[in-house]
Amino acid sequence: MNEINDSCQKRVNKRTVILTFFFFLWFLGLTLRLIQLQVIEHSRLKGAVVKQNEYKPEIIPERGTILDRRGEIMARSLPAPSVYFVTSDDEPTEQQFARVQRLKNILDLSDKELQRIKAKIKDRASFIWVKRKISPEKAETIRRLNLNGIDFQLEHKRYYPLGTLAAHVLGGVDIDDRGASGAEFQHNARLEGVPGQSLILWDGRKRPYHLEVLKEPIPGQDLILTIDETIQYIVERALGTAVRENRAQWGTVILSDPSSGEILAMASYPAYDPNFFPPSSPEAQRNRAIQDNFEPGSTFKIITAAAATETGLVNFHDTFDCSAGKIKVAGWTIYDHKKMGVLTFPQVIIHSSNVGTIQVGFRIGPENFYKMIKNFRFGEKTGIELPGEENGIFHPLKSWSKTSLSAHSIGYEISVTAIQILQAMNIIANRGCLIPFRITRETPDLSGSMKASSSPRERIISEKSANELIDHVFEKVVLDGTGQAAQLDGFTVAGKTGTAQRIDPATGSYSAGMHLASFVGFVPAERPVLSMIVVIDDPKVGLHYGGQVAAPVFREIAGRVLLYLGQSPKIDPTKKMVTAQLRSISD
Amino acid sequence: MVRKKYQKKEIVLAAGCILLAIAILTFYIWHQAALVSLGYKTGKLEQDILSFKEDIKILETEKAALLALDKVEKIAREKLNLSEPKEGQIIYEDFRLPDDK
Repeated sequence: MNEINDSCQKRVNKRTVILTFFFFLWFLGLTLRLIQLQVIEHSRLKGAVVKQNEYKPEIIPERGTILDRRGEIMARSLPAPSVYFVTSDDEPTEQQFARVQRLKNILDLSDKELQRIKAKIKDRASFIWVKRKISPEKAETIRRLNLNGIDFQLEHKRYYPLGTLAAHVLGGVDIDDRGASGAEFQHNARLEGVPGQSLILWDGRKRPYHLEVLKEPIPGQDLILTIDETIQYIVERALGTAVRENRAQWGTVILSDPSSGEILAMASYPAYDPNFFPPSSPEAQRNRAIQDNFEPGSTFKIITAAAATETGLVNFHDTFDCSAGKIKVAGWTIYDHKKMGVLTFPQVIIHSSNVGTIQVGFRIGPENFYKMIKNFRFGEKTGIELPGEENGIFHPLKSWSKTSLSAHSIGYEISVTAIQILQAMNIIANRGCLIPFRITRETPDLSGSMKASSSPRERIISEKSANELIDHVFEKVVLDGTGQAAQLDGFTVAGKTGTAQRIDPATGSYSAGMHLASFVGFVPAERPVLSMIVVIDDPKVGLHYGGQVAAPVFREIAGRVLLYLGQSPKIDPTKKMVTAQLRSISD
Repeated sequence: MVRKKYQKKEIVLAAGCILLAIAILTFYIWHQAALVSLGYKTGKLEQDILSFKEDIKILETEKAALLALDKVEKIAREKLNLSEPKEGQIIYEDFRLPDDK
């Protein structure tokens, strides 16, 4: 009996040892596995968990507002919800995609956009934008659908309440509210602010359960432009009408206050709506005022006249024989638009005689003339605070040919931008001083006084030369010469017309049928309040001279703007019929 | 074993202390609850202020869009039948020739 008991006891002991051994092995396995997971692979696995469960999107700060000189809103960022989709690892791709497809009609999702989202779901991307910056109404409709994985993030969308107005000055922003062109691009650092960061935590089923702002975004600062909304509207309306009526390729107008260098309006046509940036046509996006180089033609005679007067090499009583109506220089024949007989120096410029101006150029000489062109800052940017400004093309003196002096004196063999020509005319308007252009202000001009803080000025020609040029030449251009269509009742206008032949891209030579018509001037001549350049490219309705196409646009714009600025006529207006009280802007 | 007999004054004092402690505790809890409640209200009001500020911005932008000069001109021309003054139809009431005194 005892033997039997001993044998049983031994069996039990043996089984106990085996069982204990197995339990030991099991625990050992578990321990090793835990050490592997918690110690050896800790950092990798923690990283994977964090990647699965948390997302730290950047919070784009609210972009600063762009205001015109009177504080009117030109561009502002407003809250707009963006829809995103959070994928789930446990759910088939097709099921997830089906939920996104339910938004197709609400969000007008294209097939291309849907394919993009589907590809990202397949790639197991944890966060996918479905559509950014939608309307609050659409967001509410989607919210009511209560779709799993679909959520919203509040962003900001840029609005331009004035539509196409000043589009080329304002520019536009990309989908992330970063400046892409115009003032939006140039002043992006000031406008965009400092981004913040948020933290979103998801549960195992990818449902967000925690949202936290880790770093508050710092909103961007406002930007005040020197542009005046009303003047810009007057300019754009007149420019658009002129380009359409003349069936021209494009046109541009810049209107400035010459005494401060502030740009009051800058327009190019065709234009675009910055609310839908970028525009479908890249041509519409070009700011022609600063980004297009062209041979100026006769408006460049401003420099010839200034050089002649400043050097003292030409006297106002000197005469030039223009009776042949043409002149031959090194095998190149240059014509006048009509035979004009013998003209004095002012008459040469007043009637825009190429033959006479070339003779004036000969008197000045290449060195003096080159120096004067340089002094007027051609071949370099004006420094306006807008992106993409062109330098123009101004060849160094050593590469001038035998025809270069003649060509330059009448505005050929040199390419300029519209703003460079306006800068040259502003030097005359400011009695010989260069005042740099600017397009931003520190504070709004709420009184409408048009007063600007003092600007740096640099003397280019003497006050005497500038005064003589205004009195004897540029006022007469409008009174008796080629710019008569720019005359304004009650005001003396000083200016210069320009009609340049354009090179036909097809033939590579000057075309008799392609012209660039321009007029640059200022008013009132004795104490300028505004200066303006009007450029119309390739007008096709019969008329093509600057005096016929561009000067009337100057007159139209200047008349309205002077009225708007509360400027009383300086000379007796010719007609008085209906009374209208001239209300001061400061009232 | 002799049970200690408390005097009535002692009992009242003890009861008073307990009641006072309960009152202080109740007040403290009420105070904390009120603070939390006010915190919620303040938070909501701050949210409302932010929301109203955003609304003001939206309305200002809408106003700017509605007062855009092309829209004003369209209404003036098409609804009010206004037109531009013709050549010479404007005279200036404050106009003085340079020689006028």
